[in-house]
Amino acid sequence: MSDTFQCGDNTALVSFLYDECEPGERATIEAHIALCAACAAEIAALQSARLQLASWTPPEAELGFAIVRPRASDRSGPRRLRPAAWFRQPLPAWAQAAAACLIFGAGLSLGVLRGTSLNTSSSAQRAATNSVASPAAVTATDLTALEQRLRTEMAELRAMPASTTAAAPQANNAQILAQVRALIDESEQRQQRELALRTAQVVREFDSQRRMDLARIENSFGQIEGLTGAEVREQRQMLNYLMRVSEQR
Amino acid sequence: MNWTDEELVARSRGGDLDSFNQLILRWERPIYALAYRVIGREEDARDVCQETFLRAFRGLPGFKGEAKFSSWLYRIALNLSRDWIRRQRRAPTVQLPEGADPSEVAAEQGPVESIEDLVSRRELSAVVEEAMALLPEEQRTAIVLKEYHGMTFQEIADLQGCPLSTVKTRLYQGLSVLRRHLEKNGRVPQLVKRV
Repeated sequence: MSDTFQCGDNTALVSFLYDECEPGERATIEAHIALCAACAAEIAALQSARLQLASWTPPEAELGFAIVRPRASDRSGPRRLRPAAWFRQPLPAWAQAAAACLIFGAGLSLGVLRGTSLNTSSSAQRAATNSVASPAAVTATDLTALEQRLRTEMAELRAMPASTTAAAPQANNAQILAQVRALIDESEQRQQRELALRTAQVVREFDSQRRMDLARIENSFGQIEGLTGAEVREQRQMLNYLMRVSEQR
Repeated sequence: MNWTDEELVARSRGGDLDSFNQLILRWERPIYALAYRVIGREEDARDVCQETFLRAFRGLPGFKGEAKFSSWLYRIALNLSRDWIRRQRRAPTVQLPEGADPSEVAAEQGPVESIEDLVSRRELSAVVEEAMALLPEEQRTAIVLKEYHGMTFQEIADLQGCPLSTVKTRLYQGLSVLRRHLEKNGRVPQLVKRV
């Protein structure tokens, strides 16, 4: 831009307003403004609009963004929500009714069978006494062999959990522990955030209440002062009146 | 230690997340303020702010440092804000404060001002915000960048992709509309009255 300024050149006025004139231009515009009331008014109006802009502040926002590296526990794969196994899902109503019918039917048939077996109980008892009456069929060697077999099976069963099933639960436990720790951490962080928010809110509310109370008290004082002032004024007027009357007499 | 933006960018490009988080900490408020003033909605401004940093993080390998990091961020934020406005396809809705309730005012301001000053300032802020929402997006952005982020005409022209003279015209027209709106709302500045 040249040093000559055309009256009403708004872009040049904007440059002047923001102090981004080219060398020499500022002095030219200043000289012009000293003489031209219209341009001076324009600059003043723009300047005042700028002053008003300073009052506009965006609301406070909770920001605190951060880029976070995935944690080691997350690397094994994202935790996905899967549907529960079919045997853990709740049964529909029709299935529950069918199951109830089935159980009832089974109970009924058992009852019927028991009734019929009662008729034949005497023969059964007879058969039982016969079988008890012949214990010599089991020999001592048979019993020893049975005992031996049971002992070996029990020993095998005792040995099993220690050797085969020890490693797998330990790994599972570590995984579960890591997940539980992660969940606890998340929960703690969430609680801390909430606590901070609540605390800030309480402080804000307390402060605002305090300020409102102060304003109310100030208003009350103002009213009292006004009333007192009015009374004093009235008394003064009355005194003046009395003075005037006494002087006249 | 106080690293410069350029140093933090270099460290971030080397895989140092903490350095990038420092950049976020340094720039999130200005970027949020820019987005809020352009968009006019708090929640969306926060989203734009977050998306700005995500994009910047993803775009770090492509950032060659030809421009300042802040200019690059501003450009991303402005593009996102512009996209948001286009998606809305309407003038931005401004969240005006609900009246001049002293409790709200007191909750947001510092303790040094009197309650009357606070109320007055809050009212004025609402009027200004309302007036800014009336402006076309280009004028509003130019004013925001100039007034609240202290950019030069040239920087604004680069960001807005327009000639220098267009930036000045936008500023002039925007300020004129603001002035008229403020006058209409009884916020006639003393300076104008005297003239």
